[in-house]
Amino acid sequence: MLQMNGVKKVYRTDLIETHALADFSLHVKSGEFVAVMGPSGSGKTTFLNVAGLLDTFSAGEYLLDGENVSRLSDDQMSRIRNRKIGFVFQTFNLIPDLHVFDNVDVPLRYRGLAGADRKTRIEKALELVGLSSRARHLPSQLSGGQQQRVAIARVLAGDPRLILADEPTGNLDSLMTREIMDLLERINEQGTTIVMVTHSPECAARAQRQIHLLDGKVVDLDAAPSLSRQALLESVS
Amino acid sequence: MLLYNFRIALLSLKRNRILSLVIIGGIALGIAVSTMFSTMRHAFAKDPIPSKSDVLHYVRMDSWDPMKPYPGDDPTQPPTQITYRDMVEIMKTDIPVRQSGTFKSNLLLFPDQNIGRPRKVIVRMVFSDFFPMFEIPFRYGSGWDKRADAGPEPVVVIDEETNDLLFGGQDSVGKTVRIEDREFKVVGVLDTWRPTVKFYDVTQNPNEPPEGIFMPFNFLRPMQLQTAGNSDGWKSPPLPGFEGRLVSETSWIQMWVELPGDRALPYKDFLAAYVGEQKKAGRFPRPLNNRVQPVMTYLKERKVVPDEITAMAVVSLLFLAVCALNLMGLLLAKFLARAPEIGVRRALGARRLDIFVQHIVECELVAIIGGTIGIAISLAGIAVLNNWVKTILNRPDIIQFDPQMLLLAVGLSLAAGLVAGAYPAWRVCHIAPAIHLKVQ
Repeated sequence: MLQMNGVKKVYRTDLIETHALADFSLHVKSGEFVAVMGPSGSGKTTFLNVAGLLDTFSAGEYLLDGENVSRLSDDQMSRIRNRKIGFVFQTFNLIPDLHVFDNVDVPLRYRGLAGADRKTRIEKALELVGLSSRARHLPSQLSGGQQQRVAIARVLAGDPRLILADEPTGNLDSLMTREIMDLLERINEQGTTIVMVTHSPECAARAQRQIHLLDGKVVDLDAAPSLSRQALLESVS
Repeated sequence: MLLYNFRIALLSLKRNRILSLVIIGGIALGIAVSTMFSTMRHAFAKDPIPSKSDVLHYVRMDSWDPMKPYPGDDPTQPPTQITYRDMVEIMKTDIPVRQSGTFKSNLLLFPDQNIGRPRKVIVRMVFSDFFPMFEIPFRYGSGWDKRADAGPEPVVVIDEETNDLLFGGQDSVGKTVRIEDREFKVVGVLDTWRPTVKFYDVTQNPNEPPEGIFMPFNFLRPMQLQTAGNSDGWKSPPLPGFEGRLVSETSWIQMWVELPGDRALPYKDFLAAYVGEQKKAGRFPRPLNNRVQPVMTYLKERKVVPDEITAMAVVSLLFLAVCALNLMGLLLAKFLARAPEIGVRRALGARRLDIFVQHIVECELVAIIGGTIGIAISLAGIAVLNNWVKTILNRPDIIQFDPQMLLLAVGLSLAAGLVAGAYPAWRVCHIAPAIHLKVQ
């Protein structure tokens, strides 16, 4: 589903050059649920931005769903984001002026779907996350957990092949965290690939595979020197 | 998608009402001022007879002093009018389908005693072709015929205001009017006819209203009429008195011909031949300089639109541009404050073009609302301007907000929205989506 080979992402300023991703390679199979962990500055967010085609990369190769997406135009990247990728953010990223229904509608609008089709998809997605009765509420009228469920409904309505979740439970209490993780698990069971960045070992434990990043690279915990390993474990706990 | 963008734009306007009001107010002010002064200029500059302006031609010939050109800003210009003797001669051709020499005269009108005292009125002397040539509308009756021209028969056409005064607005066809020492039979009453420019005679004030009474031109001789308009001469008449004036080189007649299709060229040739003949007889000492010009060409050459009005219109458009450029800053600040939302939309699949269009639609919505308010304000301003014009020109409602000006106002509004919004919209559509997603 997602294959990165030797991907590099370098941020340059006049004074310094920062290698956010350094020779980054990763293969996520279709239908997998992968948790990505690592300390702050390890490159998790950069990886997620590159994986989600929200940012370009400096070198390497990236295949998404079998398609080489290394050198696409901005419009082509937008199209793939719209059709193949769903995003779940830590801060929910709902549009505050729009009702729940209209928030879920946003990606469908850019796909150019007919009104009836959009309505069916939105209603089904809201039903799946248990928020049908809140369709006419504004985000500010919902709890954090409900807002995240709206964000997940927005993803579900688009029926993407890949979900990229950036600390989806970071702003939630334990009860709501469990609800959201249950929801993500159910979605994954339907065959959708999920890559989730998280600091929480409990959440990561619910993924099928855990990947650890350090200094812009995927590291093998078992092979890492003991001191580094300890530091890594402390940083993510 | 367009309706969706309008809905998003409305929500955005509601989000920050004060800022939205300031932006809308800026557009409204710019549109009000620019529409008002553009409409004023349009009133003076528009084609007064669009259906025929290309076939109606004003005729001039240069019979002026060989030693110096006709006085004015442009020394290449012939006199603005022609002499009586030339009018008589050139009207003998049948090349024009219609033609009329014309001048105005100041005469005494004697209303019924119970209406009022005798009064001086400006009467326009014309040939029968004058009315159909200029498509002058009649409420009752019609103009006179060529037999009445030749007679001349004592007939008149009066305008509605004169008809109201003399006959209480009734159908007065067949009734008589006493002008000077003669009785004239009313053959026609004009319907409302107020061309914004009195295009058939711009030798004096082009903005004065048409005359209220029209009489057969050929009463000139029996009544020994004098012109109430300009009279330009450079040479003493060969004879004293009224008859001397008729054969003099003094020009005081405005000459119009109707030349449809391919008649303009033969007419110009005819006129050149006529001047050639006259040169042989010792007249027309200056180089051949005939002008046979369609209405709009002639009006432009005569600078019927005062430069001050054009300048005001230009300044008002610049004011609108300044308004739009000032609003650009406000819109940029407003749009950039929305960067996180734009990041979300981009992450969810919006193309740069989608974001650009979304923001341009918002600008255009602002422009439409501001433009509508601006047009309403400009209508009030036009009413004030009309009052002012009425005071100085004695003409009501000369400045009309017609569909052409509505189109211009709408166009200006949309253009102002585009000018104010294009750069901010371009800036926000280039926001990198990844940067703002964490801070939403």
